[in-house]
Amino acid sequence: MRKSKILLAATMLPLSACSTMGVGEGADFGLYTLVRTRPTSVGNGSMVVTPPRPWNRQRRFFFFDSVRWVEDWTLNGPYLDGITFVSGLPSGQYLVRQRRTDTQQVPKFRSDMTAPEVTAMLESAFRVRGGAIDFKTLNLQPRQFLGYSGFQFDFEHLDGDELWRKGRAVGAVINGRLYLILYDAARSHYYANALPDFEAMANDARLKA
Amino acid sequence: MCVRCEISRRSLLIGGGAAAASLTTGVAEARVRPQDMVSLIGPGYRPTDTDEKGLWQLMDRAEEEIAGSNLLIKDPGLVSYLQDIIGRVGGPAAKDMRIYLAHVPDFNAMMFPSGFAVVFTGLLLRMRNEAQFAGVIAHEGAHFLRRHMIRSWRDMKRKSDLFAIGALAAGIGGAGAGVYLGDYVQLAQLATILSLFKDSREMEAEADAMGAKLIAEAGYPPMEMSTVWQQLIGELNASARYRRKRRERGSLFDTHPSPEARMADLKLDAQEMTVPGRIYDDRRARYLKMIGPIRPMLLEDQVKLNDPGGSQYLLNTLALDGWNGLLRYYEGEVWRLRNRAGDDARAAQSYAVAVAYPDAPPEAWRWHGLSLMKEGRSVEGKSALSRYLQLKPTAPDAPFIRQMIG
Repeated sequence: MRKSKILLAATMLPLSACSTMGVGEGADFGLYTLVRTRPTSVGNGSMVVTPPRPWNRQRRFFFFDSVRWVEDWTLNGPYLDGITFVSGLPSGQYLVRQRRTDTQQVPKFRSDMTAPEVTAMLESAFRVRGGAIDFKTLNLQPRQFLGYSGFQFDFEHLDGDELWRKGRAVGAVINGRLYLILYDAARSHYYANALPDFEAMANDARLKA
Repeated sequence: MCVRCEISRRSLLIGGGAAAASLTTGVAEARVRPQDMVSLIGPGYRPTDTDEKGLWQLMDRAEEEIAGSNLLIKDPGLVSYLQDIIGRVGGPAAKDMRIYLAHVPDFNAMMFPSGFAVVFTGLLLRMRNEAQFAGVIAHEGAHFLRRHMIRSWRDMKRKSDLFAIGALAAGIGGAGAGVYLGDYVQLAQLATILSLFKDSREMEAEADAMGAKLIAEAGYPPMEMSTVWQQLIGELNASARYRRKRRERGSLFDTHPSPEARMADLKLDAQEMTVPGRIYDDRRARYLKMIGPIRPMLLEDQVKLNDPGGSQYLLNTLALDGWNGLLRYYEGEVWRLRNRAGDDARAAQSYAVAVAYPDAPPEAWRWHGLSLMKEGRSVEGKSALSRYLQLKPTAPDAPFIRQMIG
């Protein structure tokens, strides 16, 4: 999810260099916008969270790879930490944009998925899009989310860049749609650093009336 | 000199490409005979020429990087088993060649010019017996024994313009100087750099012929060499067909013989190398015993990539030696992840069959139970989930499953 966007950003930079309009400086082409410490709607706007400190919202490239129910934030850059919000993904949709001809694909979400199926879908996303070569489920337990019975999923994975990362996802399927907040960070230092932010947001996340 | 590079490069020869390629090359080449293949180096070989010494220095640095990667599987039993196989089919350099097993869910094996090989775990998954694995290793080892890399390196320097050589040297230098970060994509790029060393049909034919000779001498059925190529090409085709596309093309200048021609040559090699009355052993039992402990992990790595065409082909290939609980479970996983209309029923059926085998993994019981519950067969579902927890009391998802059982 996040990494595919980085790749996308990398492929777009040369475009700006070629542009006759002279665009190409970071500010105009900013990948991130500041998120302040106040209630903020995420994804398609149907979920609201309040970050305890400022975060950076990753700009979304519509028509390229983003899905409107999915939004990514980072504190120290996407290789080190990140939070992904999924705000009501409907049945039959994917977490990421992908081509029908892609050999390896992130599975489709379906409204009747149970928590173990949702977590397996996330695992495949890490393997297919994140390049995880080893993925371990640490824990899957019931947890309330947005006032509904949901789940908490803890995991860690070794990626192709030889770094171990660790993550936690809290989610629920509500009226057939997937709501989820997923935190993923380098296992040493970074995971513990921003976990309290994640917990604060997961605990007071609410659906927009 | 890498397996995957060779296959992808040959890909356009499938179908219409075959005619075009044979037209462009024009000449039919004489087959290289296994008995003519003698090693060009002896035990303990070290380079003496300046250019080869330089190449080895770069490769030593690349090897250092690779040896320190945390993507390597370092299980001493498994590594010494692989080292033992390279020792059996490595000819005069048997004691000099080193082998590294990288945890990468892709099938590839590559031989570096200084005599070390990197094998991806995805290759181990795809081999049905030790003879097949030995065949791939023998083919790769033959490139080293026949001095193919240094030969093509010199050949290219003679033929190519300076820019191409500069770019190539920069690539190798980069790999040797620590630009290689362990990312398997980068490792694959390293393989691509290596692939620039060859591109010669003659060398591939030599490696095939010598590989057949080496495994036959070691007592493996030489026919397994051609079976391996068939399996690997079949899987690539199945995967591409599933996504409704052609198999990916490799480089533009494809100089390899068509798979059919190569298969025919390998079969002839095998016939010539088979000594009547001699008993050959594919050592399947020993292979499965050594690979057994990591086989579930290998299957997990493959199936979770959700490449249904490739995974199905692979499972069916492995099941040629008999279905079991593990393979049936992963068959169910392929359907479940594919997730098209009706796939939940297909998956449920595979899980139900899987748990009837004594070797079914505990996870087969979990998904069997979850499938039953989704079908509304809650009592049976809960009983299957209880069985899962019984088999794996410390399962990380036990708290959630317990809640489902209620």
